[in-house]
Amino acid sequence: MERLSFRKVSIGLTLFFTAFLFLAVATLFFVPSPSEVVRSLRSAELLFSLRLSLLTSVTATLLVVLFGVPIGYSLSRFEFRGKSAVKSIIDLPMAFPELVLGLALLLLFGSTPVGRAAADIGVQVAFTKLGIVVAQFFTALPFAVRVIYTTFEGISRRYELVARSLGYSELETFIRVVLPMARGGLFASTIIAFARSMGAFGAVLILAGGTYMRTETLPITLYLNLSYGNLGMAITSGIVLVLVSFAAILLFEWLEGGRKVAGS
Amino acid sequence: MLEVENLTLSVGDFHLRGVSFSVKGRDYLTVIGPTGAGKSVLLEAIAGFYPLSSGRIALEGRDITREPPERREMSIVYQDYMLFPHMSVFDNIAFGLKKRRLSRGEIEREVLEIAEELHIDHLLHRKPGTLSGGEQQRVALARALIVGPKVLLMDEPFSALDTKTREELRSLVRLVIGKHGTTVIHVTHDFEDVFALAKHVAVMRDGRIVQFGTPEEVFSRPGDEFIASFVGTNLLRGRVEERSDGLTAVRVGDVILYTADEAEGEATLSLRPEEIILAREPKECSAQNVVPVEVAEMERRGQLVWLSLVSDGLSFRAVVTPNAVELLKIRPGERFYAIFKAKALRVVK
Repeated sequence: MERLSFRKVSIGLTLFFTAFLFLAVATLFFVPSPSEVVRSLRSAELLFSLRLSLLTSVTATLLVVLFGVPIGYSLSRFEFRGKSAVKSIIDLPMAFPELVLGLALLLLFGSTPVGRAAADIGVQVAFTKLGIVVAQFFTALPFAVRVIYTTFEGISRRYELVARSLGYSELETFIRVVLPMARGGLFASTIIAFARSMGAFGAVLILAGGTYMRTETLPITLYLNLSYGNLGMAITSGIVLVLVSFAAILLFEWLEGGRKVAGS
Repeated sequence: MLEVENLTLSVGDFHLRGVSFSVKGRDYLTVIGPTGAGKSVLLEAIAGFYPLSSGRIALEGRDITREPPERREMSIVYQDYMLFPHMSVFDNIAFGLKKRRLSRGEIEREVLEIAEELHIDHLLHRKPGTLSGGEQQRVALARALIVGPKVLLMDEPFSALDTKTREELRSLVRLVIGKHGTTVIHVTHDFEDVFALAKHVAVMRDGRIVQFGTPEEVFSRPGDEFIASFVGTNLLRGRVEERSDGLTAVRVGDVILYTADEAEGEATLSLRPEEIILAREPKECSAQNVVPVEVAEMERRGQLVWLSLVSDGLSFRAVVTPNAVELLKIRPGERFYAIFKAKALRVVK
């Protein structure tokens, strides 16, 4: 009897929450008038910020995966001094408020020797498009590393030992055996990195400044227009963000599903 | 051929403490011992997967202690097959060959040849996940053997298989290993592997090799209490004399023993110590084996008394209760008859 009611309550809560979320997302689509959405979509500002968002997010995602794979692999496979400290520091931005992360990065690239050294070789991070990528990179990296690390942990070391004994070096083994076996996890981490980069707001706003038509990504378009009272534009950028994330999730599900069928 | 000297290392909770032994070419060494003794770590250390704290490994006179695994010319076969799931059976077997400068045709020919030997030539296009356990392990064997390793390392290769498949694979392995002349080190917890395959046995405990010898030596003359209780059984070696009335007569030393199993030529027999009854007189009984013996040694261990018995060119252990010792007045030097059924004497090889 008790089991049955617990089961009912759990299912009820699940359905209620799903309906609530669905309602909230639906509101986003039905509150503005279609003509307003279309007009906003055609505006130079929205087109600019969509293009900038896609460009920076794709760049940040590529960098995240490029760095995340060796980081995740070394955390999973190698023992080195200070490994547990490294693990917590990499995880830190996940629990860190994005705004504070942005502030910390801004200070680092502003008035420290690191920032000045970067400026000396012509790399301007603060208040630039590069700053957007840097902010997105740091926001997304911990999430991607988490997924990549778990993926490598799920692959028995013995596969690598077999490949090594058959004449393959460490790097050859990684490329020929580990990477193909980690394919699903790498796709997942790519999608997560992309979604985090697209949605990154706090860190991007502070490090890159959120300047109109210069360092304006979709979340910043939403924020700026909301604060001007330009509701149509704000909602439209929200819709575009949701659609892009949705497309990313669908792509992920599709690839995951395809992989499972192929593997079974 | 392979010399291991004073191997010492720690991997997590597993340790090797000064392991030394050597095997000759074409030898078949089985490593037995309780869980956690360090058997698998020993294999992986020989393969070069862990840096040693100290010690030395030499293969055909060449010091390979610091060589990476890919330059040791040893292959490894694991209990859980470890076939690469993203490759076909063909690509799995060909994996080691692809590192060598061989033409596509040569690779195909060699893969087909070994696949035929192991009866998996009809599976080459399949993915490993669709195969049975026995088939997967044969693919793993083919993948390991095709590179012609100087030493084949096997870590409980038959443990995940059912009894029938295990039997089949055991005889297949014996055949193929014999044909290729491969030197093998085989970690197992199944004494059947030892009886069927081994030329030598190493017993490991707590990161050390506590006894090394032929199966007969280790099973019939265990070095200490621990080994005796671990191996449990006596191993006797003899020659089949004749067969009649469903019994096989085997000459062991100067004694004729009868077994219910069939055998020919040289036979290895197993006799569990608890199957043996002692009596002062060779009384009428249903047991076919009545052997006059002398008690060489006796030792009380817990609730049981272990006896070392000797007869003409034959020695084995028996276990009795303290009560029986009192009743029969069993003392070292006393003479008795050891009585056991033909069914208790099993042919193991």
